[in-house]
Amino acid sequence: MNMKTTGLTGNLQKDVGAVKNILSAEDVLTYDFTTENGVACTLVYADGMVNKQLLGELVARPLSALTVQKDGGKVALSALQTQIATTVRFPEFKTKPTLQESVQEVLDGNTLLLVDTLPIAFIVGAKLLPVRAVMEPPTDVAVKGPREGFIEDIKTNMALVRKRLKTPELQMDTVRLGKRSDTAVVVCYLQGTTNPRFVEEVKQKLQNVQLDNVPSSSYVSALLSSRPHTLFRTVGTTEKPDIFTAKIAEGRVGVLVDGSPIALTAPFILTEDLQSSEDYFISPFMATLFRLLRLIALFVAVLLPAFYVSAQLFKMQLLPLGLILTVASSVRELPLSPALEMFVVLFLLETLKEASIRMPKYVGMSLSVVGALVLGETAVSAGFLSTPAIIVVAFSGICLYTVPNFVETGSLLRWLYLLVAGGLGTFGIVLLSTFLLCYLFTLENFSVPVLAPFSPLLLTDMKDSVVKYDLFGLKQRPKLLRSPNKTRLKKGD
Amino acid sequence: MQKSIPARQIALFSACVLPVYKMLELPSLLARRTNGDLWLPALLQLALQFALLCAVLYAVKRGEGTLLSRMQAKLGKGLYAVYGLYAVFYLFYAVLPILDLEKFTYAVFYDTAPTSFSFGFFFLLLAFVGCKRLKTVGRFGDGALFIFPIAFFALIVMAFSACDLSSLLPVAKTPVQDVVSAVRYTAMPFCDVALLLPLVLRLEYQKGDGKKIAVGYGVGAICSLLFLVVFYGVFSTSAGREHYAFSKIAQYFPALDVVGRVDLLFVYLLCILAFFYACVPFLYTVRCVKRLAPKFSPCLSSGILAVVAFVFTLFCNKYYDAIYSLFGYRLYPVFWVFGFILPLLLLFFTGGKKRATNAST
Repeated sequence: MNMKTTGLTGNLQKDVGAVKNILSAEDVLTYDFTTENGVACTLVYADGMVNKQLLGELVARPLSALTVQKDGGKVALSALQTQIATTVRFPEFKTKPTLQESVQEVLDGNTLLLVDTLPIAFIVGAKLLPVRAVMEPPTDVAVKGPREGFIEDIKTNMALVRKRLKTPELQMDTVRLGKRSDTAVVVCYLQGTTNPRFVEEVKQKLQNVQLDNVPSSSYVSALLSSRPHTLFRTVGTTEKPDIFTAKIAEGRVGVLVDGSPIALTAPFILTEDLQSSEDYFISPFMATLFRLLRLIALFVAVLLPAFYVSAQLFKMQLLPLGLILTVASSVRELPLSPALEMFVVLFLLETLKEASIRMPKYVGMSLSVVGALVLGETAVSAGFLSTPAIIVVAFSGICLYTVPNFVETGSLLRWLYLLVAGGLGTFGIVLLSTFLLCYLFTLENFSVPVLAPFSPLLLTDMKDSVVKYDLFGLKQRPKLLRSPNKTRLKKGD
Repeated sequence: MQKSIPARQIALFSACVLPVYKMLELPSLLARRTNGDLWLPALLQLALQFALLCAVLYAVKRGEGTLLSRMQAKLGKGLYAVYGLYAVFYLFYAVLPILDLEKFTYAVFYDTAPTSFSFGFFFLLLAFVGCKRLKTVGRFGDGALFIFPIAFFALIVMAFSACDLSSLLPVAKTPVQDVVSAVRYTAMPFCDVALLLPLVLRLEYQKGDGKKIAVGYGVGAICSLLFLVVFYGVFSTSAGREHYAFSKIAQYFPALDVVGRVDLLFVYLLCILAFFYACVPFLYTVRCVKRLAPKFSPCLSSGILAVVAFVFTLFCNKYYDAIYSLFGYRLYPVFWVFGFILPLLLLFFTGGKKRATNAST
């Protein structure tokens, strides 16, 4: 909001008029009443954002019964202010001297109390915003472990974090972003544990850009990223407060954005995608096994269609003889080249996936039947597509979802690999891999390389990467986070 | 000023990246000259390089600051001449690995006949890597630790099933002059110290760094020798005709008939390292050019040099044998001068007094 800073006059009519002049929308309401001895008061609030019952019982009713002390027929201003403060017993009750600050509070969902003769506004925190209940996030389902998820309300999210980190070291600094949305963005960190440079850098990156509107945390994520156009994520995301607080406790900075259930963490390394909250509730051996499985599945998901195409087009030796014969008999009368066929099947998969996400649930079942059975089956029997190609793409699709946070990047990489495999064969695959490795080796955010702890090699940080050590193996915080407080587990303390 | 590359990364680069190029064309080259004693010239070369590396590390250790800063202090503007000479040398050095990789690509990645432009895409990688800083080389060294041991030992284990080590006997039966000529003409693939030089010159020496790098190089050397021995054990007298050794060494593993050529997956992993290896001297050239002309963008110089390299390869791939004999048999002194004699001169840049002991990394 671009307004000149002006003070309140103390003339109730004028001040209410000034507020209504700025907040001319119909949902901004006023409620006028007078004290016992006739001092006029007005409550200004945004309809649907305040608890009217509380306002009536704790503000309007006590003030209506208040007898304002007058000194020689005139109202004593300081006495009146004290009287009001003692009469309105509300936990969140503060004063604002300027019109602009007062207006901002109304937009935030608070209520403005203006009293005739007083050149200040009282802010009553009787906010009651429509929020949904805390529930398990659909993107991060855990069989074992906590099921709470963040919601769109930042205050609830802050409470969920505070509930898990009951320490005075937990800091939550608010930054307002968005010229029009004025979104609250909360930077969470543990003082004395998080490297202060990370906190400074996060705040600096947030304050450096003037955005018009910040509807979700994805906008903030782009601000925090060192390379906004990169294929790979450089900022972590989670919908679960247990993961969020665990990362903060490790020495990362967390960012909560009002209106978004997805919280951000930085610095981020790629191995975080392999970790699941369940890994910490099962034996370390099983966790390691599952992480290895996810890693292998990821490579299979990205590379299998490409290798299948290049084996058919350029390097038959990659397949054993029996398989070559099976594939050859399946593709013998196909009208499409192997690369084009794979493109078509992959395109089908991506389209089905996209449609099933956005389609109403009750149509989803029909879509599965049409997609999987009708399209797949008839395309094969019509000789348009081959069975091995559908199996390869289906398997690749399943594998990709073992690492849910990598789906977008993995999907894009799969297309890229398919493209180079169709044109150059395995040479293209190896070339692209070298290219990506060189790129990833130098990709950093907050001066932390995303491929750490593999490159640069940090042996102690590997204890919670692909391999998962037990609790007593994780005595130190990750080195890459350069935490001032290195120890996180001490025996006998 | 660029940050120092950690000694660990230099050691891992020596152990995991440097041996890869020696597994490409060198084994058949050595087998042609020295048969079962192919490991002998290699051992001599590696020992020579190891000694040279120790000498360079000694020079790094003696004195304050990096060796590069001491050179700068002593040579002043003369250092630009060194940059100029080495810019040309590294470009010259990059020629054979690129040509080798081109031949290798057409032989190993394709059963069909690819177009002659297929390899052209490699030059995009070359241009991309050329834009990077030296720390990319160090980081790649770290990353190679997760590629090289898996791929190398998988291939060696598979190759052992068809390996007859008795074909290497009797040991040292090759005439001395053949061994000496093999040493003389295979200087290029063994110019390891020249490839480590830009990294070592920037090393902020700390206690134990020398040992780390020497051990890393030693491990790489042992891997190279092991590969040569197994290679000859597999192919015996036909080894001289078997080009691109590491793609073939495991092909006789019995299980491959059932599961397909899975050994190729390990070969492809090594190829990632080989491709990067071929880009390293190019990157060094670009960095030298950057030193000589700081205002000239590295990306621009990298792009221009990559185009030049592409055009050169396009025109010269038919004359591969001629170029190989030119580099191997006529211009080999260049590699001895830049890869051995000039690095040895670094001993003149010792600070004269022993460095104060630093805390270990």
